[in-house]
Amino acid sequence: MSNFWTTFKGNKGAVVGLVILAIVLLASIFAPMLYTTSPWDMVNMPFMAPGVDSSVPLGTDTLGRDIAAGLAHGAYISLLVGFVSTIVSLCIGIPLGAAAGYFGGWVDDVLMRITEFFQVIPSFAFAIVLVAIFEPSITSMIVAIAVVSWPPVARLLRGEVMSLKHREFIEAAELSGQSGFTIITRQILPNTISPVIVLASMMVATAILTESALSFMGLGDPNVMSWGYIIGAGRTVLQQAWWISFFPGVAILLTVLAFNLIGEGLNDALNPRLAKRRG
Amino acid sequence: MLRFILGRMVKIALILLAITILNFCLIHMAPGDPALVMAGEAGDADPKFIEDLRAQFGLDKPFIVQLWTYVSHFATGDLGFSYRQQMPVSELILDRLPATLLLSISAFVISLVLGVVAGVIAAARQGKASDSIISTIALLFYATPLFWMALMAVLLFSVQLGWMPAFGYETAASDFTGLTRILDIAHHLILPAVVLGLFFMATYVRITRASMLEVNRLDFVKTARAKGLKPSVIQRRHVLRNAILPVVTLAGLHAGQLVGGAVLIETVFAWPGIGRLMFEALQSRDYNVLLGVFTVSAALVLMFNLITDFTYRIVDPRIRLK
Amino acid sequence: MLSTTAMRRAAIAAACSFAATASFAQETPVKGGRLDLVVQPEPTSLMIGITTNGPSLLVGGSIYEGLLRYDENLEPMPSLAKSWEISEDGLTYTFHLQEGVTFSDGEPFTSKDVVFTMKDFLMETKSKWRAIMEPVADVTATDDYTVVVTMKEPFGPFIRSLSYNVAPMVPAHIYEGTEFATNPANDKPIGTGPYVLAEWKRGSYIELDANPTYWREGLPYLDDVVYHVVPDAASRATAFETRVVSVLPGGSVENFDIPRLAAEEGVCTTEKGWEYNAPLSWMWINNRTAPMDNKKFRQAIMYAMNREMMLKVLWNGYGKVATGPITSTIPFYDAVEPTYEYNPDKAKELLKEIGYDGKALRLLPLPYGETWQRWAEVVKQNLKAVGIPVEIESTDVAGWNQKTSQWDYDLAFTYLYENGDPAIGVARNYITSQIALGNPFNNVEGYSNPKVDELFAKAATAPSDEERQAAYTEVQKILQEDVPVAWLTELSFPTLYDCSVQGLVSTANGIGNSLGETWIKK
Repeated sequence: MSNFWTTFKGNKGAVVGLVILAIVLLASIFAPMLYTTSPWDMVNMPFMAPGVDSSVPLGTDTLGRDIAAGLAHGAYISLLVGFVSTIVSLCIGIPLGAAAGYFGGWVDDVLMRITEFFQVIPSFAFAIVLVAIFEPSITSMIVAIAVVSWPPVARLLRGEVMSLKHREFIEAAELSGQSGFTIITRQILPNTISPVIVLASMMVATAILTESALSFMGLGDPNVMSWGYIIGAGRTVLQQAWWISFFPGVAILLTVLAFNLIGEGLNDALNPRLAKRRG
Repeated sequence: MLRFILGRMVKIALILLAITILNFCLIHMAPGDPALVMAGEAGDADPKFIEDLRAQFGLDKPFIVQLWTYVSHFATGDLGFSYRQQMPVSELILDRLPATLLLSISAFVISLVLGVVAGVIAAARQGKASDSIISTIALLFYATPLFWMALMAVLLFSVQLGWMPAFGYETAASDFTGLTRILDIAHHLILPAVVLGLFFMATYVRITRASMLEVNRLDFVKTARAKGLKPSVIQRRHVLRNAILPVVTLAGLHAGQLVGGAVLIETVFAWPGIGRLMFEALQSRDYNVLLGVFTVSAALVLMFNLITDFTYRIVDPRIRLK
Repeated sequence: MLSTTAMRRAAIAAACSFAATASFAQETPVKGGRLDLVVQPEPTSLMIGITTNGPSLLVGGSIYEGLLRYDENLEPMPSLAKSWEISEDGLTYTFHLQEGVTFSDGEPFTSKDVVFTMKDFLMETKSKWRAIMEPVADVTATDDYTVVVTMKEPFGPFIRSLSYNVAPMVPAHIYEGTEFATNPANDKPIGTGPYVLAEWKRGSYIELDANPTYWREGLPYLDDVVYHVVPDAASRATAFETRVVSVLPGGSVENFDIPRLAAEEGVCTTEKGWEYNAPLSWMWINNRTAPMDNKKFRQAIMYAMNREMMLKVLWNGYGKVATGPITSTIPFYDAVEPTYEYNPDKAKELLKEIGYDGKALRLLPLPYGETWQRWAEVVKQNLKAVGIPVEIESTDVAGWNQKTSQWDYDLAFTYLYENGDPAIGVARNYITSQIALGNPFNNVEGYSNPKVDELFAKAATAPSDEERQAAYTEVQKILQEDVPVAWLTELSFPTLYDCSVQGLVSTANGIGNSLGETWIKK
């Protein structure tokens, strides 16, 4: 573990990522205390530029709502969508991938055909269709993002499991009569955790981007203030009020960057073997 | 070889069929139908109007009959008729496909070339300033929301500087022919292709760099060095050739995503491709068009996958097609 | 922007007479040139006898013509009919057609085409036309250039129902005896209008060429007209700024962009051309369920909304706060009480009075872009401020139509055209016989009042305008008291254009009906 920290700390990018993430996390926790009123309240003149009025440091949007309040409240939504959709896709991808890798044969065949099937459909287009069908809401966005992003998890798991399967300790467990399920959950999965964490951190980043893109296409949840929503709402006034789209854009950029940096740091620290194999 | 191709073709056909059925069911679950949308657009309708439309589109038949009708037509290569645009879906898609392919392939080439070159440079300068700069820039592009980058690019290059057209595929109704027309399209293509390309470039930079570093550590490179070959020759002939495999894998995956990923870019740049066609069809519940677009893009992905497999074989003869 | 109708009309009249003198004195229209404009979204078809959505009408109106055109006061002007008489009892309409008019395929346009269009074609394709033909006994041709329409009972609105968008004249020789919806001519429209379709590059542009055999001497001035398809609102604004297009028809850019674009040098703005449609926006209130079944609750909603602010912030002041069911530019409008100013305290009082339990309402925004989305958000905040919690349900066009037509909503934004006369565009939303599932444009709110039914029926068929006015005044009072729907604003969609474009809007139907007389100053 100490070795892990040393390596991780040695990666400047990862430390930067961690700091950014900490700020975003704090913002999402303390937003309701910083901005006690709803971010939807029209608190000032519309189209107020940043820095003109100290009560709205980042300016106001087309209706006079505080951009800073929106950013603070939006942090929670972005993180929520990012994390929950990633967890859901892990919950789909891990069992499928593990089963395919461990059992092989026709199980592998069937599961991999299903995975392939989902990979063949253009993922963003598919997400759009799913959200449109189930009507835009936080839940439908999370489901849609999860449904289109689990195949890489399944593929990764399958590969990991296949390479672990013939190791001595697994064969020993098999000889001792443990069931397939027990072997997978007790012996194999704990050994695949590192690459999964690395992949998951990247997936959170992608999920946040996807959420903002869905909102941009007008498929966001109209009852929650998310970063993607603010950009979507501000994009039509980009030329006269650059700040409406600019700040949430930067917020997304930094958050996504943070997750990627952390992912890379984790990659190096947790899994030098994987790091080497992937490159 | 022939068996391999035939086998793959059968598999492709089966996957396409499955995708069609799944999407057919999904899209029919969405609230509303094309008759209602068209009634809504007309701003006026009585029940007869809506019933007439439904009968005309066959939407008054039971779901299972509609599915069967669609699938049996699909099996003969008939993608059906667009209710809203009042023309065959295949015609509509063929009309839009070249624009998407042009955009996607240009973006793909840009991302691949820039990505691999930058990745190779970064690997060669490992740990130096240029390495960090390349990696950071690549990562920044990767973390930037695509539509946001597109909007900023329009703002800067079209509105402020006036260098590029802000939108469109070509100068409308210009009657340009031959080279002038090609140049005109190219001029329109630059912004969307570069924006889309830069977004995908980041992954290639990272994977190429990592892959190069990995191969550099292998024995045969050490041997080559020991034999006194020039470093540039080693890099080109030996390292890059072996480091390219993961890049090919990734490229195969990306090629498929480019078609779908173009939805955003096509929207911002008013690019008349199938991504936009899909979005419009979805909003107006033009079922056949939506299904057609999904089928065609899935077919493209499968085709790219096939190409990837062949590329593997060319790059690395040790891999056997099975 | 908030001037009364009278003031606005006076202003328009003054502007017109000035423009008229000015143009006769100095400006002679020049021939030639190309007009580029935006059409959004892409039309689905240009055959406007079948497809009647806004974009189709915008383009198709240059290809097809109606018997009449209308000026901004909705007074009829000659088009394919050069003159007309209405009998004293209001039961016989005689139309004299222009002679020497040909369709773009060279065939002559005669009374046969008019009778076919009115009695066969439109009866099959247009629900709106079926309603208009209810009181009509017969349409006959007495000779090649005379058409007589006889009525079962007087129906004043008929004379305002013959515009290109309601009744475009289609060629009998092409459509007679065919399946109208699938006739191949739908893709190659054949009309009598000033332009003909040259090329339609789907997803990019529609190009029309001048009709060389157009019947109006010397028209059209332009060589060709190109309608660009640009799906993104911001891109449409950019297209105008870079002058790839020189006309942005009303509603084609987001409202927030209008002041910026209008302020640019050489950009002209007009609010004209919407008098016929007279779009009025409101929220459907589902009268069927509690608490919306209570009149006082509905009145509370009206008092809770700051509609002046909505107009100012969301519509840049273009338009006018609605007083009731009839738009102020439409004949028979009357400024009657009660009206509802912004008064949240009054709203709270009313809610307290009826013992409202704080049940949350679902609100459906109109899926037509950012302005409507923002509008729903403002309404949500306004209602929240008086203690009515609101959940916005996001949906697309198909979902919106589904939910409103199936009455699956509490509050739902909409806007509808009044089509030149309250009997055509207003009654349908309030009378009991129009309560029918599956249609998003009838009496969706489920309001039913026998007195209102009676007054609307009387107003439609009363022989004199005075009697019609009296009935409409009374019905407005009742409806404004009952608040069956929450009226928002009389919409105005300003058209932005490069000032070199002349004669862009010359009828109450706007650009769709005017391009024959448009020219570009060199």
